[in-house]
Amino acid sequence: MPDSNVTTEMGGATARPPIALGLALTRLLPRTSESGLKTAHFRKPWIAAGLLAPQLLILLFFFFIPSYKALSLAFVQVDPFGAREIFVGFENFSRLLMSPDYQRSAFFTLWFTAVQAFVTIALAMLFAFATDFVIRGRGIYKSVILMPYAIAPVISGVLWAFLFNPAVGPMAQFIHSLGLPWDPNRRPFDAQMLVIVATVWKHICYDYIFLVAALLAVPHSLLEAAKLDGARPVRRFFTISLPLITPTIFFLIVMNVVYGLFETFGIIDAVTKGGPAGATNTLVYKVFQDGFVQLNLGSSAAQSVILMIVAILFTVLQFRALERKVNYQV
Amino acid sequence: MKREVHQRRRHRASNKILAAGVAVSLLSLQMAGSAFAQERVKVEWWHALGGRLGDIVAELVTDFNASQDKYELVATHKGNYEENMAAMVAAYRVGQQPTLIQAAERGFMTMLNSGAVIPVPELMEQQGYDIDWDDFVAPVSGFFLVDGVPAALPFNSSTPIFWYNGDMFKQAGFDAPGETWQDVEKQLYAIKEQGISSCSMALANDFFWSLIENYSAIHDQPYGTLANGFDGLATEFVFNKSPLVVGQLERLAKWMDGGVLQIAGQGLSPEQLFTSGTCATYVASTAAHAGISSTAPFAWSATYLPHEEGIEPKNSTIGGGALWVLKGEKDEEYAGAAAFIDYVASPEVQAWWSSQTGYVPVTNAAYDMLKADGYFEENPTREIAILQLGRGEPTENSRGFRFGNHNQSMQILVEEIQGVWTGQQTAQQALDNAAARGNEILRQYEQLHAGQ
Repeated sequence: MPDSNVTTEMGGATARPPIALGLALTRLLPRTSESGLKTAHFRKPWIAAGLLAPQLLILLFFFFIPSYKALSLAFVQVDPFGAREIFVGFENFSRLLMSPDYQRSAFFTLWFTAVQAFVTIALAMLFAFATDFVIRGRGIYKSVILMPYAIAPVISGVLWAFLFNPAVGPMAQFIHSLGLPWDPNRRPFDAQMLVIVATVWKHICYDYIFLVAALLAVPHSLLEAAKLDGARPVRRFFTISLPLITPTIFFLIVMNVVYGLFETFGIIDAVTKGGPAGATNTLVYKVFQDGFVQLNLGSSAAQSVILMIVAILFTVLQFRALERKVNYQV
Repeated sequence: MKREVHQRRRHRASNKILAAGVAVSLLSLQMAGSAFAQERVKVEWWHALGGRLGDIVAELVTDFNASQDKYELVATHKGNYEENMAAMVAAYRVGQQPTLIQAAERGFMTMLNSGAVIPVPELMEQQGYDIDWDDFVAPVSGFFLVDGVPAALPFNSSTPIFWYNGDMFKQAGFDAPGETWQDVEKQLYAIKEQGISSCSMALANDFFWSLIENYSAIHDQPYGTLANGFDGLATEFVFNKSPLVVGQLERLAKWMDGGVLQIAGQGLSPEQLFTSGTCATYVASTAAHAGISSTAPFAWSATYLPHEEGIEPKNSTIGGGALWVLKGEKDEEYAGAAAFIDYVASPEVQAWWSSQTGYVPVTNAAYDMLKADGYFEENPTREIAILQLGRGEPTENSRGFRFGNHNQSMQILVEEIQGVWTGQQTAQQALDNAAARGNEILRQYEQLHAGQ
């Protein structure tokens, strides 16, 4: 096969074929772009299939089969053992959407996710920005910020719950000593704050790593030029660094929304168990409660289907709305 | 390719050597203990008891395995009752279920109607054991009997009792807690006002069971129609129509506002609030004996649950777990399961189990044995639960509860009651909502199990 090395076009200069042959081939390959990066393809389809297989296999077991299961359960009422099953059509969905409980949970999930994402990114940005100005003990500074990532969500949740426990928690006693009321067991807002603080604390490190890396990639020449022009650090950050790291911020917004929507469940389970009176019951925690604790599989499956749709919609929306404003060229 | 195969072979061979080595060493270990040990049939049992109770279960299992040489019971702690149940259901659907499972009283209907269980009496008969079901104490067997025979073996049965810190009561000038809620209320407020303790009562996590369900049983209030569900799946919740139950919740809310009643919340257990001397009283299961007697550093004691002034109290109802036998296992495993059930039901083991844990002895024989030993004279708080369970003639309202998917409606009740704690709704509204939402669950259950 004399022309086999042409197929990928990524072989670099040494592997490039004679120009004439290259041109002939370009005509054969439809829509080859300049760099050829996006249109590289394999002559032998099994190579592509082989390379994709591990990922597809993972998707099969962790996405397609569970999705199929969820869909098949969402339209039935079923006893936990699977012995009895009756088809109920959209009843599981209509029951959910009509329930004030579910609406409240959806509303809380939305604002919780938004606040959590905003606060996490803002604080991580502040810490990342400050990294440059920490001269002594920068290593310690970084490891202190990164530490929460090494702690399991449930453990960190238990720590927060204990610190702010109104009966015995030292932080709660401190708040009480200031004359402020604090009781996450009886005041929904306190519980919501506690959950937000715990989830933000757990995720700052993740955002921080990406932001520090992004800030390092900002060309020094630009910053120096601005410095010579007399711009102070904060000004330099907002006019030069920030616009240049928008791709990272965009990525972090997506990741934080995903985190808030889907991954905060361990912390909520440890800090509030969704209470009081469902005040911190996010949609994902509700799926867990209804499905795995209460064994109400039909309703739980319907909830996961709704969540799946929401997740798809959100991702599409985010890419549509935000990607345009993101500048990928550095 | 060839090299790969070769390697794999070598790998397999080394595995074999390793396995053989392990087997040999195990064999020699077992030979030291018992000559036939290697032929033991493994019987799996998943249970939900942790902490001090978990240690006692481990002891029970060790003793059973040492008592015979045919079977080896392998007990696994799968988490709390809900986690245990969820794990079992998931395992059952793929044919990986254990032979024995401990399920809470609230899961009774779920287990009974699952089509996945073998009734314990049937198993015992098949395996040639003769158990005298009439010897089970009335309040316990009354709950588990279906058509005259129990569906499962009552294993760890309990009922809530009133725990108190004797030192604090003495300090406040009381000998013991009052018998009525009215008297108790005065005492709890006195304890708080005198500054003896900042928290007069810790609210148990299962307060819906100890302070609402048992309250309605003791005061002979209907919790649901059709004899609390014993007479059919068409049952409906009516606890919201009882002025007494509504009043009970109002009282709890008042106490909470007054700083008398304390929620433990996440991060610590209510029992810790009591045993650490933070709260003066605690209404919880008699099974708390295991934990309280080993950790409380003060003169703790317990008494009957209070009742309303001027009302003759009825019996309280049981809680706790039962042993169920699941379908789909091998005959020799069933033989092992039957042997274990026979072992657990024997008076000696019952008496030991009860004295270790605080759960009530489930057979009269075990109860009599403890009595003959003078055990209750030495440990008077151990008898409270038994006497309270057997108090008076049980009525339709005090026999217990049989609601389909009761764990779901219970969760709803707790959520609605939390709305009272937060001040978002009144006690009446909360109970109305809980009954309405709970009835939806009952109707779904009825629809799914129609014709049973």
